[in-house]
Parts: sequence; C-alpha cells; structure tokens
Amino acid sequence: MSDYTLIGKRMPRVDTRAKVMGKAKFTADLKLPGMLVGKIKRSPYAHARILDIDTSKATALPGVKAVVTGKDTKGVKWGVFAYTRDQQFIQTEKARYIGDEVAGVAAVDEETALAALDLIDVKYEELPAVFDPMEAMASETELIHEEFPNNVNIHVNIDTGNVDENFEKAHYVREDTFVAPEESYFQAEPYAVVARFDQDECLEVWMPNGGPHMKSKPLSNAFKIPLHKVKVRKIAIGGAFGGRSEICPADYICSLLAKKTARPVKIQFTREENTIATRQGHAMITTHKTGVDKNGRVLARETTCYMDGGAYSSTGPIATSVPFLSMEQAYRMDSVRYNGYRIYTNKPIRGMIRVHGRGFACGLDTQLDMIADHLGIDPVEIRLRNSRQPGDYTSTKSYVASCAMDETIHKAVDKSGFRKKWGKLPPFHGIGIGTNSVQTGFPMGIRGGSQSFIKFNEDGEATVMSGVVDNGQGNENMLVQIAAEELGLFPEDIHLVSADTETTSSDPGSYSQVSTFVGGQAVQTAARNCREKLFAVAAGLLKVNPDQLAAKNRVIYVRSDPEKSIPIKKVVRISLLNFNSVNAEGGYWPKVDMKREWVSNPYGQMCEAFSFGTTIVEVRVDPDTGRVEVLEATAAQDVGYALNPLVLEGQFEGSIAMGGQGGMLTEYHEWKEGRCLNPTMLDYKLPLACDMPKINNIIVESVDPKGPYGAKEAGMSIAMSAAQAYSAAVSNAIGVFMDSFPLTPDKILAAIQEKKATVETKETS
Amino acid sequence: MNKIPITLYINDDPCEIRVYPNDTLLDILRDKLDLTGSKESCGEGVCGSCTVHMDGKPVRSCLTLAMEAQGTKITTVEGLAHGDKLSDLQQSFIDHGAVQCGFCTPGMLMSADALLRENPAPDEQTVRRAIAGNICRCTGYAKIVEAVAHAGNPQVHCPDCKTRE
Repeated sequence: MSDYTLIGKRMPRVDTRAKVMGKAKFTADLKLPGMLVGKIKRSPYAHARILDIDTSKATALPGVKAVVTGKDTKGVKWGVFAYTRDQQFIQTEKARYIGDEVAGVAAVDEETALAALDLIDVKYEELPAVFDPMEAMASETELIHEEFPNNVNIHVNIDTGNVDENFEKAHYVREDTFVAPEESYFQAEPYAVVARFDQDECLEVWMPNGGPHMKSKPLSNAFKIPLHKVKVRKIAIGGAFGGRSEICPADYICSLLAKKTARPVKIQFTREENTIATRQGHAMITTHKTGVDKNGRVLARETTCYMDGGAYSSTGPIATSVPFLSMEQAYRMDSVRYNGYRIYTNKPIRGMIRVHGRGFACGLDTQLDMIADHLGIDPVEIRLRNSRQPGDYTSTKSYVASCAMDETIHKAVDKSGFRKKWGKLPPFHGIGIGTNSVQTGFPMGIRGGSQSFIKFNEDGEATVMSGVVDNGQGNENMLVQIAAEELGLFPEDIHLVSADTETTSSDPGSYSQVSTFVGGQAVQTAARNCREKLFAVAAGLLKVNPDQLAAKNRVIYVRSDPEKSIPIKKVVRISLLNFNSVNAEGGYWPKVDMKREWVSNPYGQMCEAFSFGTTIVEVRVDPDTGRVEVLEATAAQDVGYALNPLVLEGQFEGSIAMGGQGGMLTEYHEWKEGRCLNPTMLDYKLPLACDMPKINNIIVESVDPKGPYGAKEAGMSIAMSAAQAYSAAVSNAIGVFMDSFPLTPDKILAAIQEKKATVETKETS
Repeated sequence: MNKIPITLYINDDPCEIRVYPNDTLLDILRDKLDLTGSKESCGEGVCGSCTVHMDGKPVRSCLTLAMEAQGTKITTVEGLAHGDKLSDLQQSFIDHGAVQCGFCTPGMLMSADALLRENPAPDEQTVRRAIAGNICRCTGYAKIVEAVAHAGNPQVHCPDCKTRE
C-alpha cells in the first residue's frame, strides 16, 4: 500500500460542482458587450474553382457589420507540419469539399447573418470531384492539390528488414483485406468560438481546444502578430476525442471579423457544421499479410493501408502512422513492412479520433483469430504468444520500459470467464478478445514539454499554473490532486490557473495521451521544488534536517515525531517576513528521439511509455434481424499507476461506449457525391444508456519508471481494444470472420445467409 | 413578426418577457434570461442536453416554443440546488464520477430528477430507460446510472456512496 494521501484514491473531481450547478461556462455561453453573431459561407460543391465573390449585397444589408473573404487574409496556409501546409482558412482559388470555407459575415443577430450569407454571390466553375481514395490515387481526375501527384498526401514506409525472407520460413501465411468507413466525434458541445481584440490590440479568443498553445501559434502566424498578442483563454470544453486538436478555420474567421468590426464576435457551429467542418475519422482499406510459425508466432508481416484523408492534410503524417504503431506496440513483430497512404479526396477533412484505425486494428486481430483457428490455438493463447513484453524494443525502435500486457489478458480472461465460454456457447452467442496499445505522447520538438509555476499565498494556499487543458477527461483534477499531494495541502487549497496562453507556459496539449505523463509530471516537479523551499524554512524552525520532514493536512511535521510540526501557512508567513516568497517552477520534457520523424525517419524512441489494454466482450446475435445484444464487456488496462480509480473507470467505460458499442456496431457515415447524408444526431447512431452492457473494469499497474507515481495514460487502449473485442465476439457468434466494419445488422445478416448457403451447397453436392 | 408578452415562472421567480412566436424556450432561457446551464447540442430534440422541467415534466426546450410555456413553472439546472446546497442527485453525480466534460450533465440531471420525483428508488434498468433520451459521449453511462440509482439511496457496497459519510 502506498502512503499517499490523495494519489491513488477515488477522488471526486474538483471541476464537477460548477458543472452540476449549470455554472460552468462553455464557449457558446459567453456574452460580451456589443458582441456580434458570425456565420460562415461554405462551398456547396465538392470541387470547384472560385471565379469571383461579390459581397456588395451582403455588405449593404442593414445589420451586417462585416463580410470577409480570402482577400482579407494574409494568404497564410495552415498545416500541422511544414510539409503539410495546404489549407487556407478562407479559400481563394478552389473549394475542395462540400463545406469548405469561402467567406464569413458578422451581423447584429443570427437572422441577419444568415440572410447575409445568402446575399454573398460566389461564382464557381465546377471541377471533376473524386470521392474514392483508390480512384483518387489512380489520378484520372484533376488533382485536388497541384503539388501532390496521384493525390497522395502522405506515404509512410516502414521496413524493419528480412520480411520476404521470413515469409519464406513461415509455416502458414495468409493475406486479408479489411475495410471501415468514416466515423465522427460527435462531441456533446458543437464547435464555437468567441473572439475580440482588446485595448492593446491583443487577440483574445475562447474555443474548445486540445491545447491552447496549439491554437495561439497558428493564429499568430495567420495574423502576423507576436505570440504574446494572442491570448487563448480557458473555458469549459465539451469533449474532444482528438477532434479539437488543431486550429479551425472558424477560429481565424471569427478573429478576422472581430478585427474588422472592432467588436467581439461569436460563431456557433450547427451540429451539421461540427460534423462536416471540424474533423472526421479516416475511412481505411487495410491489407494485412501475416506469416507465422507452427506455434502461431508471427514471423513476418506486411501491411498496406489506404486512408481517405479528405480535402486537406490535417494531422496526416501522424494519422497515417498511428494505427500501425499501436499494433507494433501491442504485438511483437520484428520483421514488418508497412506502407500507409493517406489520399486526398473531395470530402471533409480527417483527423485523429479516439478509435483511430478501428478497421486496421480489428483487421489485424481478426486475422490473428483466423490464424489461431487454422492452427487450432485459442485466441488468448495466440495473443500471449505474440504479446509485447517489458524490456522489448518495438519494431520501430522504441524501448518499452513498462508493460503488463499479459497481466491485462490474464485478468480479463479470468473475470470474463473466457476459457469456460470459448467454443462452448450456444449458436449465435459469442465471445471475443482484443488487445491494443497506445502512446503517451509523440516527439513534438520544442512543444514536447510542459512547465508549471507554483506560488504560495500568505494564507497558506497555493496557485498552480499549467498549460494543460481539460477537455472533460479530468486533467484539472489530476493537476490539483498532484499539487495537493506534494504540497501537503487539501485540494480546496489549490487554485489552478490553466490552459490560458497568456499566463501559462507551452504544453503539448491533451491529445496523444500525454497530459498526465508530461503536464502532470511538470506540476509534480514544481510542487516538489516548492516544498523544498518550505522545508528549508521549516527545518530551521523545527531544528531538524529538511530530509526528516513531511507535509500533510496543511502541516509540515517531523517524520519520526509527527507531534513536532508547524502549519504550512505559518512557514509561508515566516518566509515572507524574511523577504522570501515561496514559489517554484518545474518542467518535464520527455526523453524522446528528436530525430524521429513521421515520414522521413520513422524510427527511434517515440515516447517514454505505452499503455496496454485488453477487452473481452460477450454478445448474442439475433439471426433473424442481425441485431447484436452485448451482454458484458470486461476492460483491463495497464495504466502504469492509477492516480484516481474513479476517473480512470470513467475513461474505461467511455472507451467501451465509443470504441466498441458505437465504433463497432452503429457509427459510420454515408455519402452521396461528397455530401454526408447523416451529419446529425438523429441520423448518426450514438450509443444510448439503454444500449450499454455491464462493464467490468480491471486496473492493472505496471508502475512505469518514468511516469509520475508510475502513471501512464487512462483508457485509450481500451477504446482501441474494445473495437477489436466487439468485432471478434460478433464473428465468433455467427461463425464468420467479418472483414467490413462496423458490424451493422445488414452485414451480419448477409454473412449469416452466405454461410448458410455455403453449408447447404456443400451438403447437396 | 410582433413580439408577444408571456409570463413564465422560472426557478420559482415570475418572469414577464416578450417573445417572437418562433422563439424556442431554450433561446429565451439562454439568450434573454442568461440561464446558460441548459445546452444546445443537437438542436433537433435528439440529445436531451436542453432538458428542463415544465410543470414538473421533463421537456426538450429546443423543441418547445416559448409561447407554449406561457403560465407554466419552468425548472432549469440552475434551480436544482437550494443556494449553495446541492440536491442529493447533484451531489451523487459528483461523488460517483458521473460528470466528465459536463456538457450533457444539465439535461441528464433534469431527466434523472424527474424520474426520482416519480420513483425515488429506481432500479438500474428503469434509470437507463429514463435517461435513454439523453446522449452522453464521454462516460459510457455506467457512472451516471449509478449516480441516479444511488442518489438519496446510499448503497453499502458502493465505494462512492461511502465517501459521503
């Protein structure tokens, strides 16, 4: 048992009181004096040249305060990487998807703003559009971006050697292709942004974000103003799931309208806009070829994946790599060749999503089950024979310091009764297992680290400053919990200033599962440094050495004689009387290989720690309707160390819902000529409370040597492995290995009927 | 279009306001009365984020015209607590970790509160059905269901109920 006071405890979150009272302010709740309503004019064509934009009628409409087009911009193009800068915030030459931004208006109210949009006259010349990535790659069409031949946006090639040679040695080789369409985030909060320029001509802006510093830099670039003049403010955020990681053209358009009108402007997306004009998940076509020895150990693997990237690069190089990286982390695969292609199409832009690469991962795991079936091994055994082990290097040369993958498998198997059920369940009743792994961070160069400042106030309370943002996952509580633990204070004694670019240092953001590992560790270090200062003063007063002291419950005491103590408040005040304020800073920069680059050099230490997760799911399929009833889900993840099991379980359960229940059964987009047919919550089927199965959470702790208190990340490898487990369970229930995801009733019925027909043909012949 | 005067009783306060015939109750609450606790997420009556009580029944304020609310008693999430004292349900949401991003929380609370007024000790299935019209993207619902079922009925076996002792 640890002797922590708060760490490892089920601590209710500090941010939830305001949320249950309806007091937490989200962006759309903001109201500033003189605020205007902003709206965006979007392209109705999937691919069209913009010949002319006439804004005169819109500008003349009473109540319209400004109209902006590409002419008002400084022509800066956005891209996450220098080599992917392909997106203007307002298009000047071409529109590349239905929904691409072509103009913006600010008006006194929403009705006027909408009327003004209709009065903007855009003359287009329609161009041939392409919606299928394979057609786009065949390039029998006008290129979407002139500088990218065959519409190939990104090609990631990883080859660790001896692949062909090891296929030769293999006892059994098979090649299978798996497909999955696009999915969407459907964050509860539709995107919104409020912007104004203050009296010092600083841009002040509020919006849901995955990292405020990731918003301020592109805005500073676009306006060509110094970074300190862009103040991205903290605001409550209604979910992200990877979809709030980048700058959004609306951020710029809203700011531009604010500049032009010298008034605050608010843009609130409709639900459709949130689906179409933020990000979506990539559609993927993945072919896995795997060769194993007679025991089912993977000797060689070759994977080729074609990703429909939509109109712009977004996080392209990362998105093209991560599905592969997750699997190379989860399983040993020394000889592997990966070719990932991200292809431009005239569809909305695709980014990273919580279950990024569901078709990829489910394909790889389905194939593993096929191989196990062929060899007469059970799915658990084949995973254990290939699972990642601590002390390994991944195929792309990341050292894996901590790994309890096997323990997650064993514990999930025991809890779910897998061994008792496997092969013994009645017809149309199945059980399946999935295993996965995710990164805690990526090499991010100068933005890879986080820094925290702590100052004590004279009343003995502390202000903690950190760039970490909370999208809903509980990061604020995590920071408060760590600071209070280290400083010996109560959570209510900590005043957190976070996610504000004016007051906090750069931070990598809340995506890539890095907040606890890097941002949390920065706060831990700052708090320890601050405590050292307190102890130096207290040691003099208590006449002991500082290393004999501990802090708890607002008191500093001698460890061997807890009666000998002094309140922290008194120590702070005595320090102030001696002309010393009590404050400190602390930072954390993960030791990653800075030479590692997504495309040019995809080898080297990726991040310092990886989480590992196993999900097992039991289902019943109705053979008449193809409907899947999920009976139970068991989720086990190696989180390193559980800082707060209450929060962690919530992450597991949310992951089962998004990754498994929604991701594998109901969630996908439908299209007609580049137009998304189901952009709303009415048409896109999100899991409801009545759909969800009983969930068993199993927390596995490997205590990572570098993580704060040994912690890694909470829940992402459940989101991924849940998708795999759901698909495996359905395949098991119907006796058909499914290769097209998600597993909707039509596909399940077709598979059942096809199997029946095959059996009948065999019987009659 | 002309504005029409209506009277509402919002969180026990009488409120006289002039509305357009096409104003929704949600528009009025959020934009005119600054009660921004009720949220707009889907805008078409699917997600439940805008749920408020109208004469004690949960309604979707994004689909309810302000004029339909004439003379009724409206309770929003801001009206659940008594001053600083949270309701058992609100406290239970905090204790059970039922809140993540918090955007669906106000609507979820209003649906659950309406259930508990009719059935103070609902079983899990009843809770799941009662909140089936409220979409949460973060939690997977497990902790919400627990929070509702245990609100005012602390369970000995539940570690998160015990934390309240």
